Amino acid sequence: MWTRKASFTFTGGIALILIGMMITNNQMMILGLTLITFIVVNSWVSGHGDIEVQRTLSADNLYKGDDLYVELLVTNRSNRRTQLLDVYDNIPHEMKLRSGLNQMRLNLRPGESARIRYVLRCPLRGHYSIGPVSLRVRNTFNLGVEDMYVDHHSDIVIFPQIKEVEEAFLRSRTPKMYTGATTLRTPGQGSEFYSLREYVPGDPFKNINWKAFARTGDLMVNEKCRDAVTDLYILLDSRDVARIGTVLKNPLEMGTVSAASLAAFFLKRRDSVALGIYGDGLAYLPPDTGDKQYFKILSSLAGVKPEGSMPLQAVTNSLSGRFSRGSPVFVISSCEGDGTVPAAVRDLVGRGHEVTVLSPSSIDFERLVSRIPRMSYEVLKLERQNRLTTLAGSGAQVIDWMPDMDLSQAIMQVRGF
Amino acid sequence: MAAERSRNFKRIGLQFAFWAVLSLLLLTILQNFINISQTDQLSAYDDGWDDMSAFREDIKAMGVETKSLVSSPLLLADIEDPRNTTFIIAGVERDTLSFPQFDEDGFITIATEDGYSPSEVDAIVEFVGNGGTVIVLEDFGYAGSIGEAYGVRYSGYQLYDTNYVAELDYNYIWMCVQASPCGMNGTELDPATIEEHERWSSEVGEHPCAELDGQSMTLNEAGVCSHHWVKSAGDLGRIEYNATYTMLLNNVTGLEIVPGVRGALKDVNVRAITSNQATVDVNGDGELWVSNEQTSETPDLWGQFNLSIEACASTNCDPDEGGRVFFIADGSALINAIYDYEGFNAGEYGKTDKFIPANDNRKWALDVIAESLMSTIEGEEGQPAENAMVIFDESRHPQNALLADSYNTVYFLLVYFTGEGLAMLALFVVLFITFEAVLLKKRDPEPWRHVFSIIYYGFGDANRYTYYAKTEKIRQVFLSKVRNQNGLTVEEFHAMSAKELVGLIQDPVLAKFAIEPGKYSLEQSVALVKRIKAWGRR
Repeated sequence: MWTRKASFTFTGGIALILIGMMITNNQMMILGLTLITFIVVNSWVSGHGDIEVQRTLSADNLYKGDDLYVELLVTNRSNRRTQLLDVYDNIPHEMKLRSGLNQMRLNLRPGESARIRYVLRCPLRGHYSIGPVSLRVRNTFNLGVEDMYVDHHSDIVIFPQIKEVEEAFLRSRTPKMYTGATTLRTPGQGSEFYSLREYVPGDPFKNINWKAFARTGDLMVNEKCRDAVTDLYILLDSRDVARIGTVLKNPLEMGTVSAASLAAFFLKRRDSVALGIYGDGLAYLPPDTGDKQYFKILSSLAGVKPEGSMPLQAVTNSLSGRFSRGSPVFVISSCEGDGTVPAAVRDLVGRGHEVTVLSPSSIDFERLVSRIPRMSYEVLKLERQNRLTTLAGSGAQVIDWMPDMDLSQAIMQVRGF
Repeated sequence: MAAERSRNFKRIGLQFAFWAVLSLLLLTILQNFINISQTDQLSAYDDGWDDMSAFREDIKAMGVETKSLVSSPLLLADIEDPRNTTFIIAGVERDTLSFPQFDEDGFITIATEDGYSPSEVDAIVEFVGNGGTVIVLEDFGYAGSIGEAYGVRYSGYQLYDTNYVAELDYNYIWMCVQASPCGMNGTELDPATIEEHERWSSEVGEHPCAELDGQSMTLNEAGVCSHHWVKSAGDLGRIEYNATYTMLLNNVTGLEIVPGVRGALKDVNVRAITSNQATVDVNGDGELWVSNEQTSETPDLWGQFNLSIEACASTNCDPDEGGRVFFIADGSALINAIYDYEGFNAGEYGKTDKFIPANDNRKWALDVIAESLMSTIEGEEGQPAENAMVIFDESRHPQNALLADSYNTVYFLLVYFTGEGLAMLALFVVLFITFEAVLLKKRDPEPWRHVFSIIYYGFGDANRYTYYAKTEKIRQVFLSKVRNQNGLTVEEFHAMSAKELVGLIQDPVLAKFAIEPGKYSLEQSVALVKRIKAWGRR
């Protein structure tokens, strides 16, 4: 594609030739011809975009708010110089360029390489892709430009932030129920020593007690106490109403942070954590322990979007049969626009579950973006208070979570209403 | 959805129709200009039997430069020495285009083109006015506009004469360049009826080669009169000038001097005429029906017609006193087959079963060139002038190759648009608009820039704000609070009497608000909400 300069030069050249012909002025015609010749000769001396690109990321998974270090290695594969070559690494607009630049103007010799380094801040959770790499080839006098791209992508997942909640659980009424993994005095999979027994085929070698073998001459294996773990269920509301607020402060964002933090806390204690996300439909992750489960939960939370209007009762009706008896259930919902919440909570409590409702105050989030008349706001707040009181009356522990409140602060404010 | 699809179809249909009509119009216009001919004839640069290479070779042999004009006669205005230039138009095989023009009074006139646009005719007239010589060889083509400029008209109908070449056919007729018509003796021209050229044989306007008649010289010294040179001994020879011209023409038309029209040159003379028994096939049916009066039964004409007209600036037709135009009523008078009849009969231009008789076409043509281009400097008699040049007009010959014809057309348009008044204005306007378009529309590709953008607002339903300010809604919220505060079910609460409710509320203002629906002002509502908020904390 010609640049503006080239178009001007060309039309100017043509105009000079024609006007020169009109007024029979040879100098003018020669000048015009010179301009046209300049364009033609310049078009022969063009660069190319035959380059190889390799992108290296500091991590494939990050937590919201973390920095990502990116390095782009650009190598000229051709036997010719690239001439002026603009390289631009396309990055999602949700990421902020913290240092360095994601573009560079290069003029690479054959086989020569260049590195582009930059740092991105990732303020939003989600699944993102960096790339493709856009190239803009210019010729020497910037008369011709050609855009192309190298289809090279790097996928990255930004997990919700993990907040420290241990202190809050120790100081509030809530954590008393959840004591983490406790040992039972029966043999099984666990962490604490139970007894020694003779080796039987099929026992893993790592369990062989070599000292006992040296002492007795018989193969002996260690038996462990079986750990009893608590199954914890987290139900996250991702309905459309959960989007109310700003991009960083809305019920869904706070919900994902709290779900991730709770999951991290309980998984660290070797409890089993299950996650149910409801909105457009229900996505359920059965209870499990360990890092794998942790990763699964974070990945699920990273991709949550506010959509749909599934009621909580539909979720509990579907899942309560799978819940372990007496296990604690965390419901993270603003409880806005869902009249089935009291009945669903009542049902769960009735089944013997310890229910904690963590409710981001949606009306206060709404107040961040909308000018709500004072009286309407007060009445809406009163109605929300009534709703939470009803839930508390059903036997649930209710946390009214205000936008400017940390998760740990909110947990410490557990009260019965 | 269906309406949108229908709109789309209409839009696409309209666009298609627009481009189709535009393409048709363009094709129609282009067809007028790019007219690829199946035959490539009358070109001085091709050596077919119907081309004029022999004539050009003879001119070159005289030491005269030859050139071709493929674009437009507008370029004649740039000729530096018109006096020593001869412009040859042989066959005007296609029409031209022209913009309306400003006439002398400043009005815009729309010309009906006939081969050459008014500006091109003006350029030719100016060229002749500056001493140039033009030979127009044409029959049924588009030389009308040039003829009109000099008060000459081509009839455009085929002419037959009794002076035809019997061994060929009646399309080949003899033209004797003399004042009175020549005649036939049987199937041959009667030598007794052949006379000399009226002007070239007279004292006024005598041909310059006549002055060298009888002089002994070498062939090189004979120069532009070398075709009259007859070898005598060694390198020497003698000029033998003879002013009789019996020219052979093929498929001719008639010429007439338009009565009452004063052309660009004041001295217009007929140089050759047919016999008295010539006929013109007016309706072109190939049959000749003539009588004393032209009627629908006898549409054709008979009598004596002009075959050659000469227009000069002065009576003696001296090139130094102004230019000349020679009109011949046949476009093929100088083709190789006739001009170089010996070569043609010998098969130099391809095998032939026709035998072209000896003729003076070559002599006449070269004598015109000699008269026009001979140097007038004393001591250089017979030699061509320093800037002597012959230009062949190739701009009106369709080419038999698309590329060649396109080149000619583009070149023509280029010359036309940079050489003619209104076309120049149009071109200037187009250039101006193009510059403006480039200035306004042409944009460089946007520089790349990363834009960090996470601006997002999730708004709630603002319509509900007014609803929540209504008294009924406030009452409903208050009663729910009372019920919740006292741990009552909905049924229990509804079963309560008013007195019991008042007892639960324990606030006369709120109790009245709960029991007695009424209208409350904004201030009252605000006060009530504050009271409700505080209620239950005690």
